[in-house]
Amino acid sequence: MARLSPLEASERRLGYLMLAPAAILLAVTALYPIASLIRESFSHNVLTEPWMARPWVGLENFAKAMGDPRFWESSRNTLLYVIFTVPGAVAVGLGLALLANQPFKVKWPVRLGLLLPWALPLVFAGLIFRWFFEYQQGLVNNALIFVGLSPVNWLTRETPAFIAICIAIIWKTSSFAALVLLAGLQTIPKSLYEAAEVDGASKWRQFVEITLPMLMPAIVVALIFRTITAIQTFDIPKAMTDGGPGKSNETLAMYIHSTTIDALDFGYGSTLAVLMFILSAVMTSFYLRHTRRDPSGGRH
Amino acid sequence: MITRKHLLAGFAASLLLSVSSAAMAQTTLRIFTGGQQRPDVMRKIADEYERRTPGIKVEVEVGGATSEQQQQYLNTVMASKDSALDVVLIDVIRPAQYAATGWAEPLDSFLGAEKDAVMARYLPAYREANIIGGKVIALPYFADAQFLYFRKDLLEKHGVQPPKTWEELKAGAEKIMKSEGNPNLSGFQTAGAPIEGTVCTYLVPMWGAGSGLTDAQGKLALGTEAARRPFQLWAELRAANVTPSNLAEIPTDRIRQNFQAGNLVFGMTWGYVWNRAQGDADSLVKDKVGVVPLPGFSANAAATCIGGWQVMVSAFSKNKAEAYKFVRYLSSPEVAKAQAIAASHLPVFAEVYTDPDVLKANPWFKDALPVVQTARSRPVSAAYPRVSEVIRTNMNAFLAGSKTGDAALADMNRDLSPLFR
Repeated sequence: MARLSPLEASERRLGYLMLAPAAILLAVTALYPIASLIRESFSHNVLTEPWMARPWVGLENFAKAMGDPRFWESSRNTLLYVIFTVPGAVAVGLGLALLANQPFKVKWPVRLGLLLPWALPLVFAGLIFRWFFEYQQGLVNNALIFVGLSPVNWLTRETPAFIAICIAIIWKTSSFAALVLLAGLQTIPKSLYEAAEVDGASKWRQFVEITLPMLMPAIVVALIFRTITAIQTFDIPKAMTDGGPGKSNETLAMYIHSTTIDALDFGYGSTLAVLMFILSAVMTSFYLRHTRRDPSGGRH
Repeated sequence: MITRKHLLAGFAASLLLSVSSAAMAQTTLRIFTGGQQRPDVMRKIADEYERRTPGIKVEVEVGGATSEQQQQYLNTVMASKDSALDVVLIDVIRPAQYAATGWAEPLDSFLGAEKDAVMARYLPAYREANIIGGKVIALPYFADAQFLYFRKDLLEKHGVQPPKTWEELKAGAEKIMKSEGNPNLSGFQTAGAPIEGTVCTYLVPMWGAGSGLTDAQGKLALGTEAARRPFQLWAELRAANVTPSNLAEIPTDRIRQNFQAGNLVFGMTWGYVWNRAQGDADSLVKDKVGVVPLPGFSANAAATCIGGWQVMVSAFSKNKAEAYKFVRYLSSPEVAKAQAIAASHLPVFAEVYTDPDVLKANPWFKDALPVVQTARSRPVSAAYPRVSEVIRTNMNAFLAGSKTGDAALADMNRDLSPLFR
């Protein structure tokens, strides 16, 4: 390799210097916490047992998780939320994006409607939907009674509670998917539609043949982001039923919270968090492989 | 134009100002209290303390409505050794955890020679609850127990006596609900949501049936007939439609709201409800409220859960000596009396129950002392948050109908056993 000229060397130094703030920030806010989480996951650290100190216990916590029914149940519930709310949010988001992409004269009401659910804190969304689905004071049951149906115990029956939580999550997260998809929609050249129009293609054919393939990269991005947040599902079920009835709708993130923040078992809680991290990494690498194989997302 | 000299002069002046204000010695104490423990009354008490103690300013920080929401927040503050809080209000079930974690500053050295004399003045249950391993972890702020609230007007109208047994309660509620014909009126409510109060929804009938969660050796004892009685009792009341179908989503304060809205005949709840039902502007049941001890499976065999709130000095406070003085004030007969009048908070001193001013505000206090004196404690354990979680979520699942009583009991046995070894 040829030696760098003094100018090149100084440019390289400048380059590193300019990278440094971002690298340091990343190290302090992401890498260090992750490293200390992993270290913690191999230790016994229960704050109510200070006399035990913090011994290294190897894989003991991981073995405990493998035999812990609550870990498996909360993981299963988390996957159910992923399966239902990820496609749900992207499908609803696609509809919203198509709507917002229409040439309305006044654009701000649609855009505001899109942004508002996204800007709302998750816990607020959870509390609002809990109120919607409450048995006695809830809007949903009021509506059911109004049309002559009998009220439903939404939040105190396992399946209705799951449905109510999914509806809340989809409402809350579809606007983010819509924003990503709307950005994608606006990059599709108008000329493609004009050409299709000339060829006599119907609106539906245009959607299937032009919009969907051109939008694929944006859809994959929306799916990745939505999947990562769905694996971390916490706030909305926490606010709506606290995982209830019983623990039947508890997610893995809620179990981690309960283990660390309620029971003060930081060692086992960290182990559960590492397992969630692995689950998250596996699922996103699946998407990333898909995008790497075909970076144009179907365009040739 | 502003020169460097001007800037320096300004800087020096501001430095002087900050030094002189520090010389006026203001100590700010920050106290944490719960949203349901009448922070407004705490504020008034703090105002009075500020008036009497020059140089002390008290900030009241208000946390969540339920005990476990408050504790979740406090766990994050204390685990990070944050010095922001000087005094913390904690539930009667928590001193063991605070002792184990070392988050509470033991008060023994502050109490000094006075320790035994000071502690002897409290009701025995509260003295014991706050001394862990021989150390005074906190001092009691107010006492509490569960009582049976009832609609005096409805009982009189339908010729129903305040019930002494669960059987009488069920019959009375059925009679009143049937004759009133109001679809919003529910016969009986207790906490059913997955919150701390729901632990008592399980324990009270269990104690009433004659045994506790643990045996004399401290071993878990869920094989008894008494361990099944709570499930049977709540199933019977549900089958008779005396409890509503959504009991599993009702937390403590919702019982009060339903009662105040006139939608409840009987409620199993805590002392604070009296003052709210009598005093709140939106209460529809003012002067229609009765309070008696909880019913039992036979007359005069009632049990109840002990509650109450303690004040402790944070181990991370930078003003421990000042904080201790404030804690002593908060835990004094004078403040107990003020709270009893302003919030119907039950006193932790026996003599305050018979104070004429207190009785004028709360006529039912005349019968309350024996209830508080015989109320039983939830298990004392540093692992209490887990114990509570197992009981409340299984009770919640049972009340929601997603687990049978037998399944809930089996799961409780499985999950509690490792905690009581």
